[in-house]
Amino acid sequence: MSEVQKKKYSDKEKNNIFDNEFMPHIDSMYNFAFRLTFDEDDAKDLVQDTYLKAYRFINSFEQGTNAKAWLFRILKNSFINEYRKKSKQPSKVDYQEVETYYNSDSVDYNITSDLRVDTVKDMLGDEISNALNSLAVDFRTVIILCDLEGFTYEEMAKILDIPIGTVRSRLHRARNLLKEKLHSYAKDMGYNADEE
Amino acid sequence: MDKNIESSGERKLKCGDVSKCFQLLESILDGEDKDASKDVLKEKLSKCQPCFEHFHLEQAIREVLKNKCTKQQVPSELAKSIRQKIEDVK
Repeated sequence: MSEVQKKKYSDKEKNNIFDNEFMPHIDSMYNFAFRLTFDEDDAKDLVQDTYLKAYRFINSFEQGTNAKAWLFRILKNSFINEYRKKSKQPSKVDYQEVETYYNSDSVDYNITSDLRVDTVKDMLGDEISNALNSLAVDFRTVIILCDLEGFTYEEMAKILDIPIGTVRSRLHRARNLLKEKLHSYAKDMGYNADEE
Repeated sequence: MDKNIESSGERKLKCGDVSKCFQLLESILDGEDKDASKDVLKEKLSKCQPCFEHFHLEQAIREVLKNKCTKQQVPSELAKSIRQKIEDVK
């Protein structure tokens, strides 16, 4: 985002956009921030920083376009920048997981799952949530954006600065990883996922 | 081996093109393939066991994620604090 921007909105218009188009997304923003940081204070700071940036750069927001996607993009970028600063040594597991799966946009759809529909439905919120949280951040992010927040592939591509094909393949891989986690939880918890 | 008893006898047990079918099913679930009619989906699910299972599992996972992972309580003072900070920079 550039500091040089047209002053297209009056103060009144700015407040109007901020209150009516930006603030209603605070719940989703906080949920996203918390699932990225796993820390209440970090999540609060991240959301607050995002809103301050949104206000500062409000003139580059086109009224009538998707405010939620615009805000999510700012939040994601803030997270990446902050995260890089904070964590000197990113998790090796994350990198491995990501590299193994990132080499192309083509996806192997042959992976079958022993997981059962009823098992998934019976799982507790914490189990689902822990499985989601255990995924590498890039995989976690696409699931949050798509399944929790309902963004389209096109919106996700803009939020994440990646092609739509990559959105699609990353999502598919993320869901396969999630299914593996859920399956192993199911076995540990005695949900009889393999019972035939 | 009694998964999906209802009419499972009529479904083929091997999908002819898993990649294509699963990708289509996932697109439909994600609301990306609006052109795919309900009849196409119905036909696919009624004739192919792997597609049937994949669709319902993927659907269940999307539902539990949506229902169980979006209830993070937002700190009550957050909105107020944001507004205060905005006032400060105005």
